[in-house]
Amino acid sequence: MKRMFVTVAAVLLGIGAVYAQQDVVNQRQTSMKENGKNIGGVLGAMAKGEKPYDQAAVDAAIAKLAENAKTMGTLFPENTKGLKADGKYSASPKIWENRADFDSHVASYTKAVNEVSAAGIKNLDALKAAVPTLGKQCSGCHETYRLKEG
Amino acid sequence: MMRRLSILAAIIIVAGFAVYWWLTMPVVVAASALPAHTPDLSNGKTAFNIGGCSSCHAVPNQPDRTRLGGGLPLTTPFGIFHVPNISPDVKDGIGGWSEAQFVTAVLEGVSPQGAHYFPAFPYASYHRAKLTDIRDMFAYIKTLPPVSGAAPAHEIAFPFNIRRNVGIWKLLFMERQPFAAVAGQSPQWNRGAYLVNTLGHCAECHSPRNALGGIVAAQRFAGGPNPEGKGWVPNITQKNLDDWSEKDIAYFLESGLLPDGDSAGGSMASVIKNTSQLSAEDRTAMAVYLKSLAPVEGPARPKSN
Repeated sequence: MKRMFVTVAAVLLGIGAVYAQQDVVNQRQTSMKENGKNIGGVLGAMAKGEKPYDQAAVDAAIAKLAENAKTMGTLFPENTKGLKADGKYSASPKIWENRADFDSHVASYTKAVNEVSAAGIKNLDALKAAVPTLGKQCSGCHETYRLKEG
Repeated sequence: MMRRLSILAAIIIVAGFAVYWWLTMPVVVAASALPAHTPDLSNGKTAFNIGGCSSCHAVPNQPDRTRLGGGLPLTTPFGIFHVPNISPDVKDGIGGWSEAQFVTAVLEGVSPQGAHYFPAFPYASYHRAKLTDIRDMFAYIKTLPPVSGAAPAHEIAFPFNIRRNVGIWKLLFMERQPFAAVAGQSPQWNRGAYLVNTLGHCAECHSPRNALGGIVAAQRFAGGPNPEGKGWVPNITQKNLDDWSEKDIAYFLESGLLPDGDSAGGSMASVIKNTSQLSAEDRTAMAVYLKSLAPVEGPARPKSN
């Protein structure tokens, strides 16, 4: 009886752990998609001149980016290596093979976001300068550590 | 009779070999063929950036794009190419090269020793570039730091490892005509067409290739399997980019950001490092040209799982 209890508990824990890992992968995808929407859809669209400059929207987008940047480093635990996501992208196993380098990319992105957030963007010229800087941070890491399916 | 036949056979073999030798002769640009020229370093830097030299030749895993020590392995269906050192190092790089040797290498795909380079080096595109751009590029590369160390030899399987055969490849797939401006198109469009088709060598990855590694001309720019291995290179004709504005394309080349906020990844991230260094005018010119590409259906993409 005891043994059965332990076995069932272990199995449940195991299933729980798998769900938790998949959950981290989903959080990662959500966070990245939010970042993309804020950088491309909000800030990028204004920098390109497709949308009129809107200070409140700029502030909100940057606040969200800064908030997401805080947790980015935690969204790639070792136990999610090899887990696939629903989207067209997934995390490359290289993240866990070159962890220190990957972490330095995350730190560099976080630093760039925090600098923009601390300085604040007050006009279109500042926005035009900031967006490509952030964009380069995205591709800097995606170059090596993001896989495209198919 | 037997003796006559074998003599005939020998003559045919020798003649055949002579024809092969003649067909595959490397083209060399002589120093005497180069007119007087004062190098323009700023134009050389532009040519270097649009040429994407750093993407392959910069030392991997370090941030400095001007350290051209090579060493990056390129895994292709034909084997592994190890990118050579093109820094101005005299021993391991191109520090000892004459200008004519550099021009021959970039425009004709022929080494100072007179051997064909493999077309992993995109000279089939560079071939159509302006001579002055290549000479300026040489002058600019000479100002960069020398890096010592040579890359290992390429690991290419027979028969692709026979460099002389590349002469046949060149006859089949290398466009001989230098770039000519299209009358009736704006100077901006022509500048874009020049950058995209010659130094920018966009079609080298964004087109499907046949079994011999030649670009399928009818599907130029229509995407295909990644020549560097895994994945798929997108179609950049209006078949796929019809919802991108000129501004979107130019902005992507500057920032690496797609209209939907996604960012460039993989090899394209490295290309953006080059195109972000260009002038806004050049990026816009490329966008104007790319936006004008007629929609072309690319090869069928395998279903992702």
